[in-house]
Amino acid sequence: MAATTALETPADVAPARGAQAASHTKLFNRICLGVLLAFALLWLIPLLWAVDTSLKPNAETAQLPTTWVIHHPTLDSYRSILKQGDIWHWYAASFITSALTVVGTVFTASLCAFALSRLRFKYRGAILIFVLIGIMIPGQVLIVPLFREVSFMHLLNTYWAVALPQIPTAIAVFVFKQFFDALPIDLDEAARIDGASSWRIYTRVTMPLSRPVIAAVSIFTFIWSWNNLLWPLLVLSNPKLMTIPVGLATVQGNFGIRYADTMAASLLGALPLILLFLFFQRHIVEGIAGTGLKG
Amino acid sequence: MTTTEMTAPPPRAAIPPAETTTTGSPRVANRRVALGFVAPFVVLYLLFVILPALYGLLMSFFDTSLVKSGLGAFAGFGNYTEVLGSSDFWESMWHTVLFTILTTPPLVILSLFFALLAERAAHGRWFFRLAFFAPYILPSAVMALIWIWIYTPTLGLLDSALAKINITAPAWLGDPNWAMTSIAMATVWWTLGFNFVLYLAGLQEIPRELYEAAAIDGAGPWQQIRTITIPMLSRTTTLVVVLQVLASLKVFDQMYIMTAGGPNFSTRPALEYIYDIGFTDYRVGAAAAASTLFFVLVLAASSVWLILTRRQERLAS
Amino acid sequence: MTEAPRSPFANGGLQMSRRGFLGSAAAFALAGGVLSGCSSPVGAGLVGTAIDPGTIQYWNLFGGGDGIRMEDMEAGFEKAYPKIGLESVTLAWGNPYYTKLSLATIGHKPPSVAISHLTRMKTLVAADLLQELRPDDLARFGMTADKFNQVAWKAGLVNGKVYALPLDTHPYVCFYNTAVCKKAGLLDSDGVLKPIEGQQAFLDALSRAKQASGQYGAVIPITNEVATPWRIFQSLYSQLGGQVLADNGTKIVLDDDKAQKVLTLLSTMSSKGLIPSIMDYQGSVALFASGKSGFLFQGEWEITTFQTAKTPFSMAPFPNVMGGKYAVQADSHTLVLPKNPQQTSDGLNRSLTFAKSLLDQSDTWAQGGHVPAWLPYRDSDKFAKLKPQSYYASAADSAAYDPEGWYSGSGSDFEIVIGSIIGAVMAGHSSPQSAIGEIRKKLQVLADTAPPI
Repeated sequence: MAATTALETPADVAPARGAQAASHTKLFNRICLGVLLAFALLWLIPLLWAVDTSLKPNAETAQLPTTWVIHHPTLDSYRSILKQGDIWHWYAASFITSALTVVGTVFTASLCAFALSRLRFKYRGAILIFVLIGIMIPGQVLIVPLFREVSFMHLLNTYWAVALPQIPTAIAVFVFKQFFDALPIDLDEAARIDGASSWRIYTRVTMPLSRPVIAAVSIFTFIWSWNNLLWPLLVLSNPKLMTIPVGLATVQGNFGIRYADTMAASLLGALPLILLFLFFQRHIVEGIAGTGLKG
Repeated sequence: MTTTEMTAPPPRAAIPPAETTTTGSPRVANRRVALGFVAPFVVLYLLFVILPALYGLLMSFFDTSLVKSGLGAFAGFGNYTEVLGSSDFWESMWHTVLFTILTTPPLVILSLFFALLAERAAHGRWFFRLAFFAPYILPSAVMALIWIWIYTPTLGLLDSALAKINITAPAWLGDPNWAMTSIAMATVWWTLGFNFVLYLAGLQEIPRELYEAAAIDGAGPWQQIRTITIPMLSRTTTLVVVLQVLASLKVFDQMYIMTAGGPNFSTRPALEYIYDIGFTDYRVGAAAAASTLFFVLVLAASSVWLILTRRQERLAS
Repeated sequence: MTEAPRSPFANGGLQMSRRGFLGSAAAFALAGGVLSGCSSPVGAGLVGTAIDPGTIQYWNLFGGGDGIRMEDMEAGFEKAYPKIGLESVTLAWGNPYYTKLSLATIGHKPPSVAISHLTRMKTLVAADLLQELRPDDLARFGMTADKFNQVAWKAGLVNGKVYALPLDTHPYVCFYNTAVCKKAGLLDSDGVLKPIEGQQAFLDALSRAKQASGQYGAVIPITNEVATPWRIFQSLYSQLGGQVLADNGTKIVLDDDKAQKVLTLLSTMSSKGLIPSIMDYQGSVALFASGKSGFLFQGEWEITTFQTAKTPFSMAPFPNVMGGKYAVQADSHTLVLPKNPQQTSDGLNRSLTFAKSLLDQSDTWAQGGHVPAWLPYRDSDKFAKLKPQSYYASAADSAAYDPEGWYSGSGSDFEIVIGSIIGAVMAGHSSPQSAIGEIRKKLQVLADTAPPI
């Protein structure tokens, strides 16, 4: 997966046909760069505007004319959001539900994929097809019966109501299975000869070799779970239990038209993901490129 | 269950399947051990995917109420005929399709355009990736709140920018004729990065020799793009289009937060219709019927994808 | 309670994917910090314990000026009862609010006290989501039936039982620009609007105001707006004694003749240019504030807007235009206690203490225009001196609430369906005759639907 490392570009493939063509290409590339830079800046404006607004006093955001200039820069909005307290509950709910989902997904999907890839047993084919069906069912069409079911299980307004239904992700099983299929089986055989059980092979041989795929599945499950709105919106109806997206979407009244507060709360809500992105940029991008494209 | 679900890509191997290249074969194991390995996943899968799917199907034939236990009175196909005869349902389905039509072309074309430009940039690719991809990882609520602020009448960034060049801005989210377009624009900003990264990866796959050969033949950059890059990217394009369509069909968050489906239901998508009749009107039986019908729409879109990829694979081989 | 999916891959799993799991590790660290800080919400999320027992959780849907006044009243409560914790949440108005309230109650984590419109409260009761308020419990806190506005109180009873304490009545009223109306000769010597009785007088007043303002006689928002067209229709139609629904919404009893009269009047108003035929809510407020219209017919809650804008205005009850027994569309904000399996008698006492405290602060609430339902204040000299509020307070005694039905009430499907059809008549897009047909057709769909409650 070489998606991101600075590779040679068509530009580097210097045409061997003399200086004129080369300078043409160079000019073309310069224009490209300029256009792209303009668009990239345009793309950054909303985020920068959010940051800019969040650093103004609330009153200043409601003054005309609208301006980027901050007359009295302040962190008051951040302070008041953090002090007001709800956001800490939302962070807790988001972290706990996302972490439960990640751990549950990686564990159950890899274990299942290990059996489907490495063990041969009677119902293997049937189970494979059975799980394949799951890819075709979008979670959104299940919200109504699932809500009744979770209500029946007395799980509403608990983190489990959010995490448990998000764990069985058929796609994760397939991502793991494809990866395991590609691992040489000799290592397994060697371990078997030493008397290792299937469990031991899974924990000591297969999983240690699967870091890239574990990382990719973990990061994506985390982002997806953190950003999920519809399902947690249904099952978490108490503001103290809400996740970040549900809280932000529901309790707007608390901010009213205090734009600086609203932007500060939004940016705080996105902060963990922004950090995750900055740290794991390469993993994320390779994850998309690798699992989405190659093969 | 948001648009971000498109992060779940179709199952492709990160490394080509290797069973043929390795020795030996998957081990015949004790069946009980094997079933023990699949059990945790399969149990949760049965409990939270298969069971609700069947329960939902069953419920769609009853007048089930959110606030009463049990299935309620048998309704036969009553829920289906009601939903199919409801203009609200068809309008919401149309809004979902309209949103898909409004978002897919710009999300595919612009991301390809940006990726092509980025490919030619010798430096600073990390910056472009940051600029285009960062919005994608924001929660929908954050994106929506930022854009509500940008779209705010008079005070908002957009209105004030347009005022400078003497253009009176429409009520972006308040005018039924503009609300859907406004949501679509915000969505393009939000999710373009994902397609951009897919295209960047696709571009890396194109063998350098092709460009070299073309350059020797005197092809300029524009010609190279037209004759080499775009045709070689066709598989990526199919993937991008399909993932985009499937994600756009499942739209809910943006409308729920930015307009609550309004004004006058002019932006209410199918999923919000289901949410409204199921959880606001307490009519979960009818909502289950609407869910089934919505599922048919998504399934139809997925089938098109299967057929397309099959054909492409056949052509490739 | 389900157990956590135990993670037997403790040996290798976590260790080898350390980098991938950094995020979640940090998550746990942070969550741990929150856990130790204030354990209860996290405890509730993990094992379903009560959230912050011993405090009052209060949900409301008030934004703008109402929101600020409600915050003042909450502060008043906290000052009077510093030992009772109060946690207040403001949620988005309309259907989303009631959906959230229903889901929280179904999910056994409802607020202790919540605001509900009187017309929406009935549906919540029918869905078995609200606690009955026993008269002896209420009496312990001095909240007996005779202390409330009787129209609101009786409208809120379900089978003779109490489920809601009315805080106010918010009738559809008449705002008039004193400068314009004076010029039009519509004011008496005290500068108060002379009574307007009957259709002819009403249209006359509007045309004179139109001449005086130079633009419009009155303004009523009809573009992208469903509630206001319904409010004026319901006011006029009720003055003729008309009903729209019967038998809890399962029957449509629309009186075509009466509806025709009302719709014809409404369409005449716009065809004669007495009211603008394209006008959204914000625009209507701005138009009236700028003196380009003599009247604004709207809920009384816009009072602070015009006070702030220093508009020369006063208020009166919406006139008796149709000539029957006086009636005007209205709704009430009520305080309800959602059913809660974890409710204790202490909890009930706390909730009722809070409710009583809000009623005692009716003076603050009345500043925003709402007619207080709490008679000890409503009948006081203090309220009589509160102007222009006291001018239209009598309208609360002639309140015509939205018809009963599971799909009816403020911000409901019913208002959306009927309001948009009436709005089309007022905008000149459809005739009264075809509108009546359409109302019947659209409401029939709702009436025929098996009630989910």
